[in-house]
Amino acid sequence: MTFFPAPYWQGLRVLCALAPRGRPPPPLFSRFYSSKEVRGAFPTATSSPDNGKTVSPLPSGANSGKTGERKGGGKHHPSVSHPLFSAGAAKSRSRKLGQDQGPASVFLEDSVLLPAKPLNSEEWEKMKDTWKTQKNFENWMMKKMIKNNSPLDVAKSLLAWVAKRNSSELGYSLLIHYLTLCVHQKQTAEVIDLYEILRARYRCLESGAYTLLIRGLSHSDHWRESLLLLEKVKKIIIPSKTNYGDCIEGALLHQEMDLAWDLYQEMLGYSLTPSWSTLRLFFETGKGSNDGQLKDKLLDILVYLRDHQMYPEESFVQSVKTWFESIPGERWKGQFTTVQKSGRCSACGKNLESLHLSPEEYDFLKEKIMKDVIEGSDQFRKTSPEELEKYKDFVKRHPPFDIVIDGLNVANMKSKVRQSLTLLNVVTQLAQKNLKLLVLGRKHMLYGTASWRKQEMEAVQKNAACFFTENTSEDDPFLLYATLHSGNHCKFVTQDLLRDHKACLPDALTRRLFFKWQQGHQLAFSSYSAGNRIVFQPVLSYDTLVQTTGDSWHIPYDENLVERYSYEVPTKWLCLCREH
Amino acid sequence: MSASAVLLRLLSRRPAVPFPVPLGKGQASRPRHASSRPPKEETGPPAAEKLDLDGWKEAARGDGRGEVPRTAPGGREDAAAAATREFIEMWRLLGKEVPEHISEEQFHAVLRCPSKSAKKKYLKFLFTKEKRKKADRARKERKRAAREEEAEGSEDAEHGPKNTFLRRIYQKAMEVQWGWRAAQAMTFGQPLLFDMAYEHVMTRVELENAVRQLLESEGWNRRAADPFHIYFCNLRPGGAYHRELVERYGGKWDRLLLTATDKPPVDLFPRSDLVYLTADSPNVMTAFRPDRAYVVGSLVDRNIQKGLSFAHAKRMNVATERLPLDRYLNWDAGGKNLTLDQVTRILMSVKDSGNWEEALRFVPRRKHSGFVDASAYPRELLDGLRKPRAKAGAPRGQRRGKTAGL
Repeated sequence: MTFFPAPYWQGLRVLCALAPRGRPPPPLFSRFYSSKEVRGAFPTATSSPDNGKTVSPLPSGANSGKTGERKGGGKHHPSVSHPLFSAGAAKSRSRKLGQDQGPASVFLEDSVLLPAKPLNSEEWEKMKDTWKTQKNFENWMMKKMIKNNSPLDVAKSLLAWVAKRNSSELGYSLLIHYLTLCVHQKQTAEVIDLYEILRARYRCLESGAYTLLIRGLSHSDHWRESLLLLEKVKKIIIPSKTNYGDCIEGALLHQEMDLAWDLYQEMLGYSLTPSWSTLRLFFETGKGSNDGQLKDKLLDILVYLRDHQMYPEESFVQSVKTWFESIPGERWKGQFTTVQKSGRCSACGKNLESLHLSPEEYDFLKEKIMKDVIEGSDQFRKTSPEELEKYKDFVKRHPPFDIVIDGLNVANMKSKVRQSLTLLNVVTQLAQKNLKLLVLGRKHMLYGTASWRKQEMEAVQKNAACFFTENTSEDDPFLLYATLHSGNHCKFVTQDLLRDHKACLPDALTRRLFFKWQQGHQLAFSSYSAGNRIVFQPVLSYDTLVQTTGDSWHIPYDENLVERYSYEVPTKWLCLCREH
Repeated sequence: MSASAVLLRLLSRRPAVPFPVPLGKGQASRPRHASSRPPKEETGPPAAEKLDLDGWKEAARGDGRGEVPRTAPGGREDAAAAATREFIEMWRLLGKEVPEHISEEQFHAVLRCPSKSAKKKYLKFLFTKEKRKKADRARKERKRAAREEEAEGSEDAEHGPKNTFLRRIYQKAMEVQWGWRAAQAMTFGQPLLFDMAYEHVMTRVELENAVRQLLESEGWNRRAADPFHIYFCNLRPGGAYHRELVERYGGKWDRLLLTATDKPPVDLFPRSDLVYLTADSPNVMTAFRPDRAYVVGSLVDRNIQKGLSFAHAKRMNVATERLPLDRYLNWDAGGKNLTLDQVTRILMSVKDSGNWEEALRFVPRRKHSGFVDASAYPRELLDGLRKPRAKAGAPRGQRRGKTAGL
């Protein structure tokens, strides 16, 4: 490259900095700015809703935004470093980075003043004149009423006005809107009347109307009618889980247990996921019953949750607890608790299921990763066959590693520190612990540039085994394979959540296995600054899953106030123990 | 279930009244007419004169089966199909986005949709199509009326032959001219290859879109002053691509002045002459080279399948390049992969002018916020920004010499 005098270099720097215009500022800056802006824009008392929520359990609810945030964080996450995949971790991470702005907008109130009491025809005519711009005034008005939950009489007077004008204008959509309003307000008599009218006028309805009717009827004496409606829906499409939920609710309210269970089985047959309120209702109706068969069925529900890795919500867990405690003859005791790092339940002291995969599962996962993540449909998409061979050979030649490091990910952790220096730091610190290391990277790291110094890379290679892929290959799949190949003790270091690789796996079971393995083997930094000791986020040792040992049950659940991301697991547990 | 069976029997006897309630039980809770309403509701609106709030029900019931959906044509349809037809009709009454008329073929496509959301999506597609067609027809009608009016107005104007220097140039003459040029290109023109190896990774919709883009590209090329010699390679005879292309071109397919072949690009040209254009390539195209055969993957990937064409090029061991979009444009949003006709026009333009600013006009305006203002900096500085090392990803043996543009 030609030599440029200093001013030229200055210009070049500026150009480099300006080049990606329109990109958000780097995280470090954005945290600074956004937090400042937010605090300036809103009064502190109403800072952001989720702050308010986390703060609310504290006695001093109305403290300033900043301390509230810190305290709120501390309340739910006692230590600064909590496991990477525990509930709320991602939320607090994004809050730290200042990306989380909270719910953005508050909807403006309706400018239209809805009538508070029934109007007569002249008044409606007048109203229509004021809103001339609305094409379909009746429908528009009815929708507004649904939104604001207006009294039923007002809606009726609107319908009466329309019918008076011309009864054929009382269209299907207007009737359905009215039905929505009736169902929302649980006016069963009106729903039944409407059902008659709809039946008289139309030969068949569509799914939206059926859903509303099922919901409206399932609470009434005519709940059996909702089953007929369900049959009609089935003719066209698979009914939704709310359809089934409403029918089951109707059956349970009227003590038809067998029917409810049949519907439940049918629903699972369509591979619909029942909603929590449906499941809760089963447990609530089963309370205090001495029926052994019923008990088995309810326990089956818990096993279903286990098999599908579902984490119940708080209200459901409450019902489960009361059901267990109400079983006559068996003295169950339920406690809401947490689990210690070692995997011991704080309430009963039992150890939870370990996160380790069985050898068969392990081999299965290894093979799947090789087949679906690395090779996929086309070996050339992530690597090339020669490189793959070379890599397999490389892994085979080396004894099992203790830690596999994603070089590029680790090196880019600190934007202000030279990348090769960060990598060298991490590698030397880990090497001092006498661990066998493998560093994965790309070939461009070896060229010797400003950010990748040659001497430092040589030092890295002295401390660890290294494998450099082509610049156009992906390194994450190699990381996964090397870790899996080295055995169960081997861990890997990356900040990446590997979601795109998880998505490459074909079925839910394999994805579940992968996630289980990832929870136990991924090391992520909790804090790192140049020159300091590295601290990793703790790794879970127990599996978060509904589990039983016969005379004890442990059920993880979601707290109402904590926002859990899909790749995180809950931290709260319900511990149920039988007392002897 | 016995109770429901009884209910059914009752219902079938009296179809208009579904609730022959056991006497007295429901009657109290079900005010049918204003007269039987509980008094508290009667006194509800004191200000207005007595409102008949439930009278409309009688009126609504009164018109009987006024709006029974249109019956399904032909009695041969099974119950599910008939139900779906009625279902669609009811959706339309509800104001959902559903077409008014459905052809038999489209209806079967609806029946084949695996889920409710798929049905909804397809019906919405038909709805917008119908709407557009209707608007088109209305517009044509308006134009025709205007033309007729004009013709009536100027009837007395002379229509006889005029004394002109040139005869009017008709479309046909243009086509002959374009044909000559295309024939010229077939013998001497620079090749531009469309790689059709992706038909198995595309859905039906994507394939239709890809064929439409190919047609467009071919059209732009035909009108060019110096057209490319277009190759459709890897075109499997009888494959989906071939079928669709023949269908769209009709009789013209056999008279098209381009080369359609089932051979891959590497069989047609020496490997060192080929350059595969793909947005995933690490190498930036700095200049258009007249001695290269550029390959464009004719792939529309709506569900973004990363690195598909790049993998294909890697397998063939062919050099790859991407368009210098970042260098000239302030990219805003949207994928860097452009449609086939856009790529064709960019290549044509850069071939004629050698000017990237000129050529990249064909990048959709919504994707970028204008051109990079590079005038303040010396040319060699900008070139220096792209280090030669950026090409390291190219397959070995493909980097012959320095690129001319630098």
